[in-house]
Amino acid sequence: MAKKAQVAGSVVAGFPSPAEQYLEPPLDLNELLVKRPAATYFVRVSGDSMTGAGINDGDLLVVDRSFTPSSGDIVIAALDGEFTVKTLRVRGAGRRAGGSSGGQEDDGVWLEPANPQYPSIKVDRGHDMRVFGVVTAVIHRFRRG
Amino acid sequence: MVGLVDGNNFFVSCERVVDPRLEGRPVAVLSNNDGCCVSRSNEFKALGIPMGTPYFQLRDREASGELVFRSSNYELYGDMSRRIVSILREEAVDVEQYSIDEAFISPPSFACEAGGDSLREYGVRLRSKILQWVGIPCGVGFAATKTLAKIANHIAKKRPEGVFAMPDDAAQVLANVPPEEVWGVGRRLAPKLRAARILTALQLRDADDPLLRSIGGVTLLRTAMELRGVQCHEERDYDAHPDSVTCSRSFGEPVTTREALMESIASFVAQAATKLRRHGLVASGCNVYAQMGGAYDGRWVERTVAFANPTDATNEIMRAIRREASDALFLKGERYRKSGVVFFGLESADAMRQGDLFELSAPVGASKLYKAVDAINARYGKHMVHAASEGIGDRPWKMKRAKLSKRATTNWNELITVR
Repeated sequence: MAKKAQVAGSVVAGFPSPAEQYLEPPLDLNELLVKRPAATYFVRVSGDSMTGAGINDGDLLVVDRSFTPSSGDIVIAALDGEFTVKTLRVRGAGRRAGGSSGGQEDDGVWLEPANPQYPSIKVDRGHDMRVFGVVTAVIHRFRRG
Repeated sequence: MVGLVDGNNFFVSCERVVDPRLEGRPVAVLSNNDGCCVSRSNEFKALGIPMGTPYFQLRDREASGELVFRSSNYELYGDMSRRIVSILREEAVDVEQYSIDEAFISPPSFACEAGGDSLREYGVRLRSKILQWVGIPCGVGFAATKTLAKIANHIAKKRPEGVFAMPDDAAQVLANVPPEEVWGVGRRLAPKLRAARILTALQLRDADDPLLRSIGGVTLLRTAMELRGVQCHEERDYDAHPDSVTCSRSFGEPVTTREALMESIASFVAQAATKLRRHGLVASGCNVYAQMGGAYDGRWVERTVAFANPTDATNEIMRAIRREASDALFLKGERYRKSGVVFFGLESADAMRQGDLFELSAPVGASKLYKAVDAINARYGKHMVHAASEGIGDRPWKMKRAKLSKRATTNWNELITVR
């Protein structure tokens, strides 16, 4: 009763493995990274403002619009009409993040880079800021093709 | 209970999602060959520029920076449309896509509970989900029939919350709607209706059946019955409404081979293309979809196919679909229950003919060619004439789209860039 060897995750002995009927399909990156296709977008990174977060020039970002953006999330935001990738930070009473010791002028919504060469941007009434979506993954490719 | 969900200023709204600089500005999307305005932002409308205004009349206002224009980016619009429809499929019991930016839905039973606000609340949640997930603001209207839902949707758009459920007694609402605005009536019937002293949708609803039949045949009678709350429109009965051309059907038996699936799509395309030709229209693209799985675990695949040139020729359309979508649509091992096609970017074939002075009337020429090829093949046998249409690749008269935005959601090389 020779049977063609199959990858079943368990040892195949003389009998057909009872695990055969539970064989799973191959691992799918789409399934892993795109939980809500209708809300998922891909964007390309330009520049090095977020290298400290592991996001580099030329990388691909997976963006999910279904999440409500929270302080600490890396987001894609449209700031005065231009798309940017930054960490969203909400500073205020009861929510001092990262040991910030700033005073009340620091309170509000900030877009923070992950590179000391870039400034943090405070989003105040002079700015028009809309969050496009929350970054859920970064894809960095070493080899193409 | 029926709902109608449609995107506000749909093409412009799609452009704004991927280009936030367009927010708050007077923006219009142009038809094929950058001819005339087919979608306008509210700011554009507020300037009093009507739908269909030719672009050349507005060129200097663009140069001055007052107005912004975009060419039709069907790849983008088709993708955004698919996202919205997939959300509707998750949230509603049944979804019937009517055009690229409109779909009829059957709300779930919990939303239809009498004596409460449940329909409105359901609509608000649905609209909010679409706005967050896709970035497109929609109007959502609910009523007992499709014709009434269209009116409800129209009213919804005027409200800040964007949702409206037609009251059980729709009389007061219908008294404020002119009859030619009712779905399926049209401007041609207006003088006849006025002569019969039917000046509102309410009067249309309550008119005598024989009178209605004499003015507009059985179509008008069906419209009146729909206004009365009696559902008359069947899924395939859209001959009276040439603003949408679709064709789909559930299969008698599940389909499991690529050939059979593509054949079913080819037959729907042929039927829908016949409808296009009958109404004197050409289409710029289509969404093709297929449903797999069982009644309760239905999954969908859908693709947008943009045509190189607006067309009504079945074989051109099928060629484009086979080339661009058949790999994506057919998944080995799946059992398909239904497939269909929705055409969009509909324009009058005559308008195409009167296009740019220096461009050949290729789409109409292709249509005539197709008919001639058909006639010859019918007489002398299949494929007697076929080579002529096969070899045409990059056509010299290719559709002009000078202000095309990036295909930011369908092309790896054209993604939004973030800094």
